[in-house]
Amino acid sequence: MHAFQYHRPASAKDALALAGQKSEGRYLAGGQSLVQAMKLRLSSPTDLIDLGTIRELAGIKVSGGSVEIGAMTRHAEVASSAEIKKTIASLAAMAALIGDRQVRHMGTIGGSLANSDPAADYPAAVLALNGTITTNKRKVPGDQFFKGLYETALEPGELITSVTFQVPKRGAYMKFRNPASRFALVGVYVADFGSGNVRVGVTGAGASAFRQTEMEKALSAKFAPEAVASIKVKPDGLNNDLHASPEYRAHLITVMAKRAVEQALK
Amino acid sequence: MVVTWASKRLNRAVKWTSDRSEAFVSDAHGRDHVTTAELALDKNGKFLAMRVGTTANLGAYLSTFSSCIPTILYATLLAGQYKTPAIYCEVTAVFTNTVPVDAYRGAGRPEATYVVERLVETAARELKLDPVELRRRNFITEFPYQTPVALCYDTGNYEATLGAALKIGDVAGFKERREQSLRRGKLRGLGYACYIEACGIAPSNVAGSLGARAGLFEAGEIRVHPTGTVTVFTGSHSHGQGHETTFAQVVAERLGLGMEQVEVVHGDTSKILFGMGTYGSRSLAVGGTAIVKALDKVIAKGKKIAAHLLEASEGDIEYERGLFKVAGTDKQKSFGEVAFAAYVPHNYPLDKLEPGLNENAFYDPTNFTFPAGSYVCEVEVDRETGATQVVSFTAVDDFGKIINPMIVEGQVHGGLTQGIGQALTENCMYDADGQLLSGTLSDYAIPRATDVPLFKIDTRETACTHNPLGVKGCGEAGAIGAPAAEMNAITDALGVKDLPMPATAQNVWRAMHTR
Repeated sequence: MHAFQYHRPASAKDALALAGQKSEGRYLAGGQSLVQAMKLRLSSPTDLIDLGTIRELAGIKVSGGSVEIGAMTRHAEVASSAEIKKTIASLAAMAALIGDRQVRHMGTIGGSLANSDPAADYPAAVLALNGTITTNKRKVPGDQFFKGLYETALEPGELITSVTFQVPKRGAYMKFRNPASRFALVGVYVADFGSGNVRVGVTGAGASAFRQTEMEKALSAKFAPEAVASIKVKPDGLNNDLHASPEYRAHLITVMAKRAVEQALK
Repeated sequence: MVVTWASKRLNRAVKWTSDRSEAFVSDAHGRDHVTTAELALDKNGKFLAMRVGTTANLGAYLSTFSSCIPTILYATLLAGQYKTPAIYCEVTAVFTNTVPVDAYRGAGRPEATYVVERLVETAARELKLDPVELRRRNFITEFPYQTPVALCYDTGNYEATLGAALKIGDVAGFKERREQSLRRGKLRGLGYACYIEACGIAPSNVAGSLGARAGLFEAGEIRVHPTGTVTVFTGSHSHGQGHETTFAQVVAERLGLGMEQVEVVHGDTSKILFGMGTYGSRSLAVGGTAIVKALDKVIAKGKKIAAHLLEASEGDIEYERGLFKVAGTDKQKSFGEVAFAAYVPHNYPLDKLEPGLNENAFYDPTNFTFPAGSYVCEVEVDRETGATQVVSFTAVDDFGKIINPMIVEGQVHGGLTQGIGQALTENCMYDADGQLLSGTLSDYAIPRATDVPLFKIDTRETACTHNPLGVKGCGEAGAIGAPAAEMNAITDALGVKDLPMPATAQNVWRAMHTR
């Protein structure tokens, strides 16, 4: 790890001001990806701006048909939140599957989304639950947020403050784990909002999370496992690595989608 | 070498630490054989001959034990537990651009077991014979047994371990479990492995004639202190094997002392005799025997001292549970009294005997020891994803006499997990340009607690005939037998003849789709 300056601003305003001054600085959320990258010397920011003590960035608010989660809310808080379990149980269940216990108590939703790891879980939820990412400047629809491998719509210095999810009628997330890292080799989030509005978010399979529109159409017509079971996903453009070929990932998208629908119907 | 050089240059101690990334790109790899094997049987299922051709990767250059692993630690194990009268093995060792391939838990013996046990299981399936019955027809039952591949097994009882494994693993109930799995969309398979291991490479002169450049003995020293406590120095290093406990048990029991009166020192070359170390599951069989030999000398000298103190003849002194006694009388001296007399020799036969009670011994075994066992593995394969779960694993081993059952159980658990890792998850992968792809623990899949079941393990004992403890060794057994049992179970579940390791979900899925 290379040397860096550590800062702990007390407010989002101070954090933004620091980010403006330190062009090679980085926000530090839960540190579950960034610190690892720094240890491997893949990332070497001059300054770390720790958001950990900024209380205004954390918290869970349920209002009407949506759930707003502060950017610095830890995965474990989402997993154990009674309000989220009541409104979007599948989101709490998904958060409980992220990483391991230690990761869930440090990692944050904002950090995960800003990082846009191709195998992270939250991006699938943002797409399936029609999420909106709120930053210090604007609101970005989830569909326009993920731009590619570790790429998002965020501009330099822009700070995610919260994420808002639409509450579905029912939904579920199914993950097939990478045997080594335990990240999603393929993860599929299915959400049914009723009146033929179904959204399917896929993670782990492409450069970044994406929606599976063919499955959305099929499930909108009939929300049942058999509606997706026979859909053959095209492997073109899917990730290829030592753990899974594009063909295997394409196959797993169908299997995980089918199982997610089964789970959502339980 | 670099550290030594740097230390000389700087005239100070230099420490080098390899980080995880360095270890991944430079640590020796294990296994890496490609083998074609054939088995000839008569119409009654008796093995007639086995022919094995192996291409063994040695990596870019030779490392410590590279050349002996796919040869003298591999081909010599191809008899397994069976009376195969003729065995032919040809190994072509090749240099490649990978990291050197060297000793890895089992070193040659897992590879041999894999060949023999996959071959026997395949033969049973093709001949539509019960794989248990086929093994029983060919088991070696009389000892000592001279194999056609150089080794001479001193003892064993293969039916005992197999019979126990069948019961503990409830093989009789497998058919019903298979049906239940099918109803849940899972393919269930069962596989066996009856392995043989050779521990405690020996004797030195034979190994030397085969090209070994080191002795294969072990050294032990017993230093009795004036207070009657004992320090044991062993050349066999303990890096988690629990020598501190097991060796102390051996010494405490032989001397009739409490465990707390025995201290074990290892790993400090400035204190211990020149020893050879810990490898090949030899520590107790070879290192423990050296200690026992030193203990015999301590007791022999103690008898002389006691005879003097008790005014009896040396031949009448018996040693029992910490007491030197004059046979047939109530005259006795404790071990502590004798030790004290040795170091405060006021009443002592100084004209005939040196003071002090400090003995050492070197032991060079006359033969290997031959642990053996029977493993039964059951897997469930997810038909949709190819994910394989080991749902049951039974291991019944014969390690000879067991000194500490808990340590043995721990060794078996670790070995089995490592063997399951080899079969299911672990893989050193390079791309076409020679770049290592599995260079972090995020890509190299070591097995985790969730990858293994609660092991069902037990032991059967046939004492080794040529060391005083009757012990054989247990450190590598699990890793030797597990991969074959695991792959026999997976191929059974899938109904395929062969599948390369590791049987990752993707590889299993492919096998199901190309059948």
